[in-house]
Amino acid sequence: MTSLSLTINGRAYGPMDVRDELTMNDFLREHLGLTGTKFGCGAAQCLSCAVIVDRPDGTSHTNPTCVVAAIDFDGLSIRTVEGHAKDGALTALQTAFVEHFAFQCGYCTAGFLNEAQVLLERLERQKVARGDLEEIIGQALDGHLCRCTGYVKYHQAVRDVILADPGRYLV
Amino acid sequence: MIFASPLPRRLKALAAACLLAGLVSAAAATGQTADIPAAGTLASPDSFATIEPTEARSAALFTELGKVLTAPRCVNCHPAGDRPRQGDERRLHQPPVFRGADGHGLPAMRCDTCHKAANFEPGRIPGHPKWQLAPLEMAWEGKTLGQICRQISAPERNGGRTLEDLVEHIGTDSLVGWAWAPGYGRTPAPGTQAQAGALVQAWIDTGAACPD
Repeated sequence: MTSLSLTINGRAYGPMDVRDELTMNDFLREHLGLTGTKFGCGAAQCLSCAVIVDRPDGTSHTNPTCVVAAIDFDGLSIRTVEGHAKDGALTALQTAFVEHFAFQCGYCTAGFLNEAQVLLERLERQKVARGDLEEIIGQALDGHLCRCTGYVKYHQAVRDVILADPGRYLV
Repeated sequence: MIFASPLPRRLKALAAACLLAGLVSAAAATGQTADIPAAGTLASPDSFATIEPTEARSAALFTELGKVLTAPRCVNCHPAGDRPRQGDERRLHQPPVFRGADGHGLPAMRCDTCHKAANFEPGRIPGHPKWQLAPLEMAWEGKTLGQICRQISAPERNGGRTLEDLVEHIGTDSLVGWAWAPGYGRTPAPGTQAQAGALVQAWIDTGAACPD
């Protein structure tokens, strides 16, 4: 057992003792009831289990949870899919996902949503040219697997959010 | 009974799939070489003996060594950015991983989360006890061979190594040696590690000149 403290969606958890071999995915789903984070391949290859890790320098990245021990997240601040909507109001990204019917079964949606959110925040810090946008979105979402093959709709949804507010994301 | 008729066919299909999967797994477990792309070759230092002047011979030796240094097995973990690449296609590493402060990844996604002490063929995951990214100052990705040569010759950009240290690093270091035994689906670096080490030694002996 190892002591674990972390912040999830702005709320502090711990310190609490958890088994060393407990995965972060099981910790979120079984211990905290945050079942929005899915368990997919179990090998960090589909990224349906990805959450957002907020770094101290203000940048963020996504991180699989299925192959990583919960204790490896000790001291970190993360966001899960439950942390996007505020007071029941969907974010622009979530709304775009819905409007594009970007997901079908929805199993991969949390991972795509987290990845796209990280991309939006990165573009706010480092704006890009419109001509590079398609490739940048593609690179960002690459690695997330959707067995319903909703890739194009996810891509279009992210693109629409960016183009709806070009001054925020584009040079 | 509604499934009485289709079920045997399903079972047959399942059995066939299992058999196929078993054969594939068995091939991987026995290390059959059919799944490992053929590697290129390296010329021996003697092959360059007729090149004059010596400086040109030295540069030619490094150019030959460059077949190793620019191979995906080497460049993928000498990236120009914070993310390694993978595969012979040099695609960005999936899942997304980052260099981190020590080159071993970020706190919740260390290299050794997946990369263990040896290649894990059933999962196609390469491994070595020292698995890590080369420091950013040692990035080779996107650089010409001449740029790599000048970089690798400078202690401040080669990990503090002397030229003689490079013979050992390239010729005998076991993590570097992984490049010649990378496992399933990855083309090994050209030649052998010993041949690469011999080229480094010959390059140094001829003045360690760099190609343009």
